[in-house]
Order: sequence, then C-alpha cells, then structure tokens
Amino acid sequence: MLRFSRNFSVCILLLIFSEITSAQNCELSISGIVKDLDTDSPIAYASVYIKESQSGELTDSLGLFKFESICEGEVHLVLSHIGCETQELFLEVSRDTIITLYLDHNSRLLDEVAVISLDGKTSTQESQGLNSASIAENSNKSLANMLEGISGVSTIKNGNGIAKPVVHGLYGNRLSILNNGIAQSGQQWGADHSPEIDPLVANKITVIKGVGALEFQGSALGSVVLVEPQSIDEDPHLHGEGRYFFESNGLGNGINLELQQYGKAIAWRAVGTLKKSGDNRSSKYFLRNTGHQEANIALQLEKSWSKKFLTELYFSSFNAEFGVLRGSHIGNLSDLEEALGRDVPFFTEDKFSFEISSPYQRVNHHLLKFHSKYTINEKNFIDFTYAGQYNLRKEFDIRRGGKSEVPALSLKQTSNFIEGKYTSFLPKNWNLKSGVQLNRVDNTNLPETGILPLIPDYISYQYGFFSILSKRIQQTRIEFGGRYDVETRNVAAISATVPRTVIRYQNDYYNYNAMAGISQNIFNDWKVVFNLGYASRNPGVNELYSNGLHQGVSGIEEGDPRLKPEISIKGTLSLKGNISHKLFFECLVYSQNIDNYIFLNPQNEIRLTIRGAFPVFQYEQTNARISGFDFSASYEASDRLSLTGKFSYLEGHDLTNDLYLVYMPSNNLNTALNYEIPEFLNLQNVVFQVNNRIVFQQKNLLPSQDFLAPPKTYYLFGIKVSTEKQLRKNRLKVFLSAENLLNETYRDYLNRQRYFADDLGFNLIAGMNFSF
Amino acid sequence: MKKVTLLLVLGCIFSLFITSCKKDEPETPIIPNEEELITSLNFTLTPTGGGTAIVLSFLDLDGDGGDEPTITEGTLAANTTYNGSLDLLNELENPAESITEEIQEEDEEHQFFFQSTVAGLSIAYADMDSNGNPVGLSTTVTTTSANSGTITVVLRHEPDKAASGVSAGDITNAGGETDIEVTFNVEVQ
Repeated sequence: MLRFSRNFSVCILLLIFSEITSAQNCELSISGIVKDLDTDSPIAYASVYIKESQSGELTDSLGLFKFESICEGEVHLVLSHIGCETQELFLEVSRDTIITLYLDHNSRLLDEVAVISLDGKTSTQESQGLNSASIAENSNKSLANMLEGISGVSTIKNGNGIAKPVVHGLYGNRLSILNNGIAQSGQQWGADHSPEIDPLVANKITVIKGVGALEFQGSALGSVVLVEPQSIDEDPHLHGEGRYFFESNGLGNGINLELQQYGKAIAWRAVGTLKKSGDNRSSKYFLRNTGHQEANIALQLEKSWSKKFLTELYFSSFNAEFGVLRGSHIGNLSDLEEALGRDVPFFTEDKFSFEISSPYQRVNHHLLKFHSKYTINEKNFIDFTYAGQYNLRKEFDIRRGGKSEVPALSLKQTSNFIEGKYTSFLPKNWNLKSGVQLNRVDNTNLPETGILPLIPDYISYQYGFFSILSKRIQQTRIEFGGRYDVETRNVAAISATVPRTVIRYQNDYYNYNAMAGISQNIFNDWKVVFNLGYASRNPGVNELYSNGLHQGVSGIEEGDPRLKPEISIKGTLSLKGNISHKLFFECLVYSQNIDNYIFLNPQNEIRLTIRGAFPVFQYEQTNARISGFDFSASYEASDRLSLTGKFSYLEGHDLTNDLYLVYMPSNNLNTALNYEIPEFLNLQNVVFQVNNRIVFQQKNLLPSQDFLAPPKTYYLFGIKVSTEKQLRKNRLKVFLSAENLLNETYRDYLNRQRYFADDLGFNLIAGMNFSF
Repeated sequence: MKKVTLLLVLGCIFSLFITSCKKDEPETPIIPNEEELITSLNFTLTPTGGGTAIVLSFLDLDGDGGDEPTITEGTLAANTTYNGSLDLLNELENPAESITEEIQEEDEEHQFFFQSTVAGLSIAYADMDSNGNPVGLSTTVTTTSANSGTITVVLRHEPDKAASGVSAGDITNAGGETDIEVTFNVEVQ
C-alpha cells in the first residue's frame, strides 16, 4: 500500500507512482524521475533524501534518481530544489517503487502561483504570489511588505509596521483580502489599518490581478488577495517546523512553530508566532515609537467521517500592537507645516527603545471557520461553510488629563458568514460552481473614548448568489460567471451639532457583477489570456457619514450620505511564454474604468476651530481610469546563473475633472541576479542573490493635490544568501540578507510617515528554519 | 434525500435572513462624554492700575465640526499694563468643566505661546511650572503706542520646554501638538 501527501507546495504539483516486482525485506528500491511541469523535460540537481536510510542523492542530467536496499515499511522522502519549499512525502513501501515528481520549475522566478480550477488546470484568472519558501525567507515582514516584490503590487503604509497591500492602484475597501477563504472583516476603510493576518500561518499567498473573483464575498473591484493555510499532510507521525529570525533594524526577533499530525481519529495542525521589534532606524536617526509586537496562533482540525464526508475546523487569533512615529502626531495644520520643514522629526531620541507608547494601535482579530464537504458522487460536491469573526481595534493618542491610556478610537466588529456551495463536473468538459452566501456585520463604537466617533455604528446584511461556468476545448479555456448581491445597512450616527442626537439611516444596495475570460495556448507553451469584468462597490460608512477632524492628515473630512455605488469595468490582457526555455516572460496590460469613483476632494474652504484652521475635504464622486502594465522576465544564463526583472507601470486619471488620482503607486523596477549551487561541501541549494529596487518619483500629481511634492526616485540594493542542510532526519535552512545595503536616505510616496521622517535604513536579517 | 434536506435548511436560513435584516437596527449609540473638548477660550486683560477688564473670547460650542465659532475681539488702551489671564472651558458639559484646572495640574506638559503683530505690544509670562518653566495661564501684557494687529494664542501639549528659546516664548523649537490656536484682531488706542 502506498500513501502520499495530498498537499504539495506550489513547486511540486504531482506525484505518480507505480509498483513493479515484489522483493525481499531490505532489498527494495525506490527510483524515479523529476520533471518540469510545463515542458515535461527532466530536472537535474534536485535533491532527494530518504530519512530512514539517511541517504541522499541529486538527480542526474536525465532527472533520474535511485535508492537501493530500502526496507519494507514506512519511508519519509524529502524532496528539495532551489527556490522550492522542501517537501516531505510519506510512503508505505512494500515493493520496488518508481515515482515521477513534477516541479513547477520556471515559476519561482516570476512569482507565479497558479489559481487552480475545478479540473486541476490553471484558471483564466491572472495571478501571482508567494509560495511557502518565499514566505519563510521573508518571515520578518508583514503581509503587505511580503507582497511588495510582486509586479503590480505596492503597499500603502504608516511607518513600516502598518502596511496595506495595493493591487493595481486599489486598496482598503476596494481590495478584498481573504483569510482561508473568508473575507477579512475589520476596519478596512482606514489607510493606516493593516490587515489583521499573520502571513506565517499561510502556505501560499496569491494575488489575483484579474477582474472577477466572483465566488468570494466582499467588495472587490477586481483584485483579491488570498491567504491560504496549508492543509494537513497525510502523514501519521508528528512533524513540524520551527522558524526564527533576527533583524538588526529595530532589533526585531520572531519565532514561529508549526506542528502537525494526521492522526487516525483526527488530523491536526497548530501554528504559533511571536514577534517583537523596537524603534526602527532611518539612515540617520531612530524613528521613535515605531516598535511593534505580535502574538498569533492558529489551529486546524480535520476529520473524515467517511470517504464522502469531510469536516474542517479552523481557528486563528491575531493580536498586535503597532507604535506610530511620535513625531508624526500633530495637532493642526501649522504643526504639519512645521513638521514638513524639519530634517529630523520632533521627539527624536539618540537611543534605541523597545517601548511602545502613545500614539499606538492595539488590534485583536479572531476567526473561527467551520467547513464541511460532502461528495454526492464523483462529479458533484456540496460545501457548507460558517465563519465568525471578531475584530477589536483600539487606537491610543497623546491626550490631556491622563487620558493617553484611554483609546481615542475603539471599534468592535463582529461578523457571521454562512455559505452553501455546489460544484459539478458537467458533460462536455463544462464545470459549474455556484453558491449562496449570507453575511451579517455588526460594527459598534465602544463609548469609552470620550470622543465623537469617526465612523458611525451599523449593522449590515449582505446576501449574494454566484455562478461560474468554465470549459476547456483543447488549447482554449473559457470562463464566465455572474454574481448578484443585496446589501441592507442600518446606521446609527451621532450628530456633529449640539445638542448631540442620534440620526438613523438605512442604505439598500443591489449589485450585479459579471466576468468573462478566455485563455489560449499558442506555440505549445505560450499562453494568451483575456479577461473582462464588471463589478460594483457600495460606498463605505466612512465615505457616507464621517464628519469631523481626521487628526492624522490635519483635515476636516465630510462624508456625503448621497454617494452612489462605484461601478467598474476592468479588462486585462496577458501574454506568457519563453524563448528556448532560457528567457521566461509575462506581460499583463490592464485598464479599469470606475464610474462614481469616491475620493476625498480638497475644498476651497479653511475651517476655523479652536485648534486652529483646517482645510476641508469632502467625499465626492468622479469618473476615473486606472491603467498600466506589469512586466516580469527571467533569463537563465546557465544552470547556475539567472537574472530576473519586474517592472510595474500605472497611471490614474480623474476623467471628469481632468486631474490625476491621488495616492496612486509609483512605477517601480525590481531586478535580481541569482547564482545557485545545488551542492557545495555538505550544503545543498546554496543561493547568492544581489537585488535592486528602484521606485520612481510619482510625477502624475499636481502640487495643489498634496501638502508636499512626491519624494524623489530612490534605489535600494540588497543581498541574500541561503542554504540548506539535511541532518539525519531533520532539515535545516539558514538565510542571511541585507536590505538597503548602502543605507540610502529616502522617502516613499505611499508612506504617510514621509511628511515627517525618512524611511528605513540598513537592515540585516538572519533566519533559520528547522523541519523535523 | 439528504440533498433535499440540506437545500431546505439553507432555504429557510436564507429567507429568515432576508426578512429579519430590515428590522435589525444597531442599538442607540451611547453619546460619549466629551470631557477633553475645549469649547471656549477667554483671555481676560485686567489693567493693573484698575479699570474695566477686556475679554477676548473664542467660543466653538459644538467642537471641531458643525457650526462656525463665535469670536469676541477688543480694544486696549495705549501705554497700559494688563494682567492677562487665560480661562479654558468645556461648555458642552453641564456644568461647564474647567480645562484651566486640568492644565494647572499638568503644567509641565503644557505651554502657551503668544504671537503679536501689534507694534509695541509685548506679552510676558507671569507663571511657572514646578520646574521653573513658563506655562502662560497668567501673563503681563504691556502696550505702548496706538497700533493695530493680531494676537495669536497657541497651546502646545508636550512641548520640549528645554529646547532653545522655548522658555522665552519662542515656539520654533517647541514641538508637541497644538491643542489651541486662535487669533484675535486687536486695536490699541
């Protein structure tokens, strides 16, 4: 009997086995071949190791490997290759065995992470992302910072710790982030509210840059970020992985421990992360109060009741505190103008500190997900999902009268989501996926603040229905689908005028979404994909009802209860291919028109308050267009030397007022030179990398659209070294990397901290992963 | 059979959801007790030689948003010395809460700054915190010749009182957050 792990990393997609002649106890053999998934050509220098016999081999030039004198019984086989997460396969061997392993070889250089459709083939959705190897090597980073290297993805930040992903210019309420298939439900509207997700729990993070991830509930206008934890390997023994990192900038430390076992009664997996860092440092000075700490845990349980019925339970808890640069806390416009003129921010100190004091954010997010899958027959499946989320956000400011310990913003959000989904393989290669989703969100301000709330209390109900059909006809694949959503939102706001009264509003929205995609293989292994999507997003409560001073930007922001939903049409066209399997490239061109695009428009009004004069901004609507392209390429000069480049270009226009859109990501170029040695002394997969990131100045902005001109173009160099070593039954991976090697002084357009201070200086990161 | 049951259950939940949601309103929010708000600033100038006090005041009774503030300006006599006294109130509370007391209690963390464009008019600190640095709740205002201009009163929270020039009333290196910044038109006759 043979068993194998179901869940391979992105790199290793398939395992085929066959059994030949029977033999005696310790005279069995395991042999096989490692092939490229795309081209079917053999892959040399992949490392294969058998724990039981403590023997290892590299595949030869024909991709072949062979182990002799293997004893009957349990075998743990470790497969590793540069850039791929090391994968362990569990086999029960009773005969001579031949295995074929497929590696998705070229993908790693271009951040390719395929979205797999029902039939096991890649969907027409354009996607890129990170596999578990990249996640592990970037364990010191937050979710958004990890994704920053992917073309078309940027981050909007407040300092370094507080970061949100931006995909094709959209973020916050316009970008859905799904944690284990569940739309993250929190205070997504705030540009300084980072997603409450621990990326180290994930095995794969995918950015869908296409047009319509219609099966996911949420308010996406196209792009979606999927954070997916690994399911439990079908291995009856206890296994795990320990990770540790240290970073010099902020003296950050982090540990992550993962344990899993596929027990007979129940399968389980537990992951925990602890992170702590202190004040970051720019090239010249410490950034006071920019420390951060996190304590997260996730637990997964899986039970097969029968061959047809499977139940999964997932619980995750994210708990973090983020300090905000002390010198960025300002009282009014004069303070801002004063801060803009300074070389070194106010409150800068000469010494490093781990202390986090006001202003800071404290965030807790808990998710409980229950999922059951019932197989009606080989071609029909039903899924049922329930997810509950609890989000608590407290923001502490510098306040008078000893109130700094009282949050200035305190919001609690609970959400309950249920979903029924039906999947079917229809005749003639048609596939159908269809579902019903219901979601209730209750958002409440806790009255402890002693300050008028920024956004009102509300209860919202969304019910949605979607259907997606796909079909494969030889080299062509088509996909199309529709989605209908109804949302009712009951709002209770407090008036801005005295005497304070409660004002109630009811919003009803009816939204349609649709998408169509076609992909066509040409010249054997080139691929052209076209997608077109129609989507809408309802105005958020902040856009409708905020009324008052937004301290962070020193402006009075006024919502407009009459705002209509945004309507978007986005088209993407991509071409992916290679020349002689040496030069791999992928180019994606997109254009998105958003009618009723909601934005904060500065008014010709300065409002006088006792705290001074403030500019007034109003949420208004316009017709906007965001277009651009993402280009990635990698060139393999030899087996060992490769060069990658990724370029993102984007322009945002306000078509009605003939202006640029504000807060659009700057164009950027990432390049890297890799030198890889499969085996060196006793080490495996030794990789040297030199990389460079250029972020160009945002030129598409008028001086009247911001307090300060966008920062100049900056260049960051980095190096990275990593290697692996098999230690009997365990495996050790170590890496060392340096970021901003030249200690460059720079500021980034999408980092709000740029008004006050320089961005991060030199950072040295050392880390290790130990799998057992 | 199982399929039918499941669909029925889902259908029931769905219809329950639709009918109940219209009525599911958030509870009436508790209106926060805005203790920290400063609604009123009164700058009372009493001639040291006796006479009627002049009160410059800035009232914004509904906080940052809402209605426009009410500003009362005044006329000072030339060649006169006044005892200046600042009083801050939160008049949204009933009875009105004195913010002046709060500042007295935390005087090391607060400092007023006065900027005058009136030629010949000077404002000097007449009080100190426990470290011997000025606060500015009490001042001495001296006028000379007849002139006009503005007086701006700024309250900084957590300024760096040790920074150069700050204790002499120069705001340039003070830092901290501005809690108050009001400007009065002033005439000296």
